[in-house]
Amino acid sequence: MTIPAFGSTTTSTRDAMDADTSDVGASKPWPAPDISPEAVAALDTYKKRDPSKVVVRFKAVGNAPIMKQNFYKITASNRFQAVIQFLRKELGWKANDPLFTYINLAFSPAPDDTVSNLFKSFCTDGHLIVNYSTTAAWG
Amino acid sequence: MSQYGTTRGPPPGKNNIDYHTTLFRRLSWEGTVPLEIRVDPNELPANSDRGLACYFIQAPRVSYMPLLVPEIRRFLMDVVFDETAAKTLKEEDWWFEVDDGTLLKWHWPIGLIYDNHTILTTVRPGPSLAATSANPLRLILHLASPPNDKLLLSPTADACKLAFMGQLKEADFIRWGNTKRMTGLRKADQDGLWEGIKEHNFDDYWRVASKVTPTMTSNRPQSPGPPPSSVSMHGRPPSADTVGPPERDGAYNVRSVPVRLYLPDGPVIQDLVPPLLEDGTPHTLSHFLTTHTPLLFPAQPPAPPPSRSNPNPRPPAQPELAYPLVQGILTPLESEMAWLGACLAGADGWVNVCVGIARK
Repeated sequence: MTIPAFGSTTTSTRDAMDADTSDVGASKPWPAPDISPEAVAALDTYKKRDPSKVVVRFKAVGNAPIMKQNFYKITASNRFQAVIQFLRKELGWKANDPLFTYINLAFSPAPDDTVSNLFKSFCTDGHLIVNYSTTAAWG
Repeated sequence: MSQYGTTRGPPPGKNNIDYHTTLFRRLSWEGTVPLEIRVDPNELPANSDRGLACYFIQAPRVSYMPLLVPEIRRFLMDVVFDETAAKTLKEEDWWFEVDDGTLLKWHWPIGLIYDNHTILTTVRPGPSLAATSANPLRLILHLASPPNDKLLLSPTADACKLAFMGQLKEADFIRWGNTKRMTGLRKADQDGLWEGIKEHNFDDYWRVASKVTPTMTSNRPQSPGPPPSSVSMHGRPPSADTVGPPERDGAYNVRSVPVRLYLPDGPVIQDLVPPLLEDGTPHTLSHFLTTHTPLLFPAQPPAPPPSRSNPNPRPPAQPELAYPLVQGILTPLESEMAWLGACLAGADGWVNVCVGIARK
């Protein structure tokens, strides 16, 4: 099975995801002169975005329309918000159309959680299962 | 266990929470942070009293910004804004920024917003907030044009409540592999958790939260032995207290502790944190930090072998690069993650470990 890369269907999705520079702090200069170079180097290392990809599996709940393709690869450093935006685009949802997303039929993650963090904690059989619904299901 | 059952009033049972657990939960709950909220001077409506456009508040760590807005609004309406001009303002357009231009997350607990900013000041030139106590977090209140795409959530208390419940359920899932404890609560109880935050009522919140939060009276692996039998005032033999079945809801029986690790200016790291390591010893904060951020918390080198002149050698001292804050408190590295999860978690169930960088 070939799994399309997340955002490969439309260029605009790709753009939206590249613009997702999550949580970049303000542009004030750093570091302070009196912190050790080891600490500065460590922070730089941890700030590098994880380029690896994980597989997201979409599953419709209730009356939500089923997607033709259920498995997508997504860059792990993306925020969950990017998954929601991608899903809306794939479903052709307008800005105000209701869409609720859940992990493992259990809870809605915060939109600023990263896919990587969610995958580490909740992956099932190598996938992150994202359920979507047009009505609040486990809210 | 008998020492709690006999000296603290309530009989031993599942919901019998020991004194120290309650103490730390109470201390976390009562923690507050100073905020200075200034209206963007460019957005003040005509005829406002500009000299007074600043509001100071000591806000509960467990609360959320949308819950403060009514109080801030009341102050601004009474003191600052001109009555006619104020009529054109819409609360749903209000949004906050830290004074360095960072957008404020509506759905983060205020204590986390404060600590996350504190660790940022440890890497920037200028005074580190961690070193200067009681420095207010300076916020700018904008009255129009919210950047909705970046704020992620609408700034209403309802959206904030939904996000809060989502976090509680995610924490529940992390702990037990399902959300049965949360979904098993009656609707009134679920709402009661949020009401407890809103009204800042410790007892209301914990009446429900104790049903979903792990207990600390469980069979802790290295717990002290049973108390002297003289302490036991009731009729049961002391042995009856020590051989009971393992407690189902015990902090050391969870699958994983809900923990997030915050570094200055990002990223946020979340992973499974089992309460016990493979060798059965408790998972400590030191182990957690060394596992996830070894460059900031390097593993201790082993102590040199004992010699005649130095029979109890200590490992060589290492320069401290960084330090952890939980609930704004410099936290001992030997703290056990399970204990942090039961006693120092936020009201949303999560332990937030913020890492500050040491200054020379």
